[in-house]
Amino acid sequence: MADRRRIRVKVNGREVQGEVEPRKHLVDFLREDLELTGTHVGCEHGICGSCTVLLNGEPVRSCLMFAIQADGAEIMTVEGVAQGGKLHPLQEAFQEHHGLQCGFCTPGQLMTAYHFLKENPNPTEEEVRLAMSGVLCRCTGYKQVIDSVMAAAAKMRGK
Amino acid sequence: MKPCAFEYFTPATVPEAIGLLERYGEEAKVLAGGQSLIPMLNFRVARPKVLVDINQVKELDYIREEKDELVIGGLTRERSLEVSPLIQKKCPILAEAISYIGHLPIRTRGTMGGSLVHADPTAEIPVVISALEGTMKVVGPSGERLLRAEEFFVTYLTSALEPSEILVEVRIPTLPPNTGWSFMEFSRRHGDFGIVSVAALLFMGSQGRCQKASLALGGVAPSPLRAREAEKLLSGQVITAALIMEAGVLAAQATEPESDYHASAEYRRNLAKVFTQRSLQEAWNKIKGGK
Amino acid sequence: MKIEGTYTFPAPQARVWEVFNTPQHLQEALPGCEKLEEREPGKFDVYLKIGIAAVKGSYKGKMEIADAEPPHRTRLIGEGKGLPGFVKGEALIQLTPQDQKTLISYQGDVQVGGLLAGVGQRMIGGVAKMLLEQFFKNMEKILKPAG
Repeated sequence: MADRRRIRVKVNGREVQGEVEPRKHLVDFLREDLELTGTHVGCEHGICGSCTVLLNGEPVRSCLMFAIQADGAEIMTVEGVAQGGKLHPLQEAFQEHHGLQCGFCTPGQLMTAYHFLKENPNPTEEEVRLAMSGVLCRCTGYKQVIDSVMAAAAKMRGK
Repeated sequence: MKPCAFEYFTPATVPEAIGLLERYGEEAKVLAGGQSLIPMLNFRVARPKVLVDINQVKELDYIREEKDELVIGGLTRERSLEVSPLIQKKCPILAEAISYIGHLPIRTRGTMGGSLVHADPTAEIPVVISALEGTMKVVGPSGERLLRAEEFFVTYLTSALEPSEILVEVRIPTLPPNTGWSFMEFSRRHGDFGIVSVAALLFMGSQGRCQKASLALGGVAPSPLRAREAEKLLSGQVITAALIMEAGVLAAQATEPESDYHASAEYRRNLAKVFTQRSLQEAWNKIKGGK
Repeated sequence: MKIEGTYTFPAPQARVWEVFNTPQHLQEALPGCEKLEEREPGKFDVYLKIGIAAVKGSYKGKMEIADAEPPHRTRLIGEGKGLPGFVKGEALIQLTPQDQKTLISYQGDVQVGGLLAGVGQRMIGGVAKMLLEQFFKNMEKILKPAG
């Protein structure tokens, strides 16, 4: 009896099709239908940030969108950050500077930082703090996250 | 949690959307940005049987300048307004207030119209639109009507919209040059729901006197509160530090805050006083600094 | 949370007492009250559909009028449960004559729990106050002589 609709999205460069109930969240479509479990479900009300993905290049909370609303859009998830099997400088920096422990918030941290550094490749620490404040972390105490983003920014500027 | 099942429609025009709202009445809810509604659906504290998703009504997404007003479509994204050169130049207090809304991903989807109709007593856009005395255009089965800010916000989560109406447009004045402005919000962490917020506007007249002051406070009443006594105190006067201090006291006296998890009523009252004073000072500094 | 306040009714004390103890009037005045049935003297089953904007819930509950000392004071005890959560409360209500009017003062304790209370914590005090005001306003309409 469930009402199912066809949707077409481009995820990490790949065209995919799906059939979803209107009430299915984008994050659940990514995790369940596409088996891209990198994006995480934390609070389901937009506050924790671990569900953050890029929709048409802009960050959104995928727990606050229905998959059907993303029909026709281009989505980037954390699985799309590494290219050709090689870690992105952000991922390398998170590794070197211990920007993660349990890893639950990490997809949100990475997608937020990925977008932020595109807009602001040479940020101050204060700017990084502000930009990253939308993703909650219970493990690191945040310092290592900030250090990782600053280090990645430097690396990406060729330093 | 996951929402209860709902019927789902994506009208492409305003008349289509209104037709759906009329047909389903109380069982239908408009979905715009979804940044306030979807959490309620996820928690199941709201269980509409029908969702009318208006994100396809692209004609409602615009920012225009018309003479001495800025005209903004109901579906305009908060992020668009935040970064719009037109808004930053002609009505910077709006861009500043929007920067306090949650975090970037929320502002990417959240809309001007949605925030106004949702009418959260701590929301930033309602407070600043109250200070600006904006006008809201709503459309329903019986046609169009215009609502002034002071009649638009009724109480907690309640606007003056009739059941089948949609907010299509907001008009705000462009700020005359040499207008002092400030928006300040206190919260425990950046991006949290505001505990108390203040939007202050000082419109200057001749001889260095403030011709008109506009002060709106959030988080201290069921809807945005204009601090009329404080405004009267400042109007027609040369602004001084003493006047600013007194205005803060008057503003706090006008508030009827509640106590909750985050702050007691007394604390909110005190915040109202202090933030009104700081906000007015900042607005005044902008005028003195010739910005 | 503690609730307390006053309300002045433009009617003599005996009349106010009478209206407050008439189930039909209570049902009319209670916001969202769909049904009020007296099971035993002073004990009622209540069906309410209340909320604000999109946040509406159906509650089924019980209400009891206890320790009545007509026409001066009474105690109201109530509890209700619904999908969005539960409500439980008790209030002492006192009536004092003031010329041709009656001053009602109430003092009580209300507990709200469940999802709605958690999610809506920052508004629940204000909304409760509002619903109470609505109740009193509705009662006032009933008490006003026709015209």
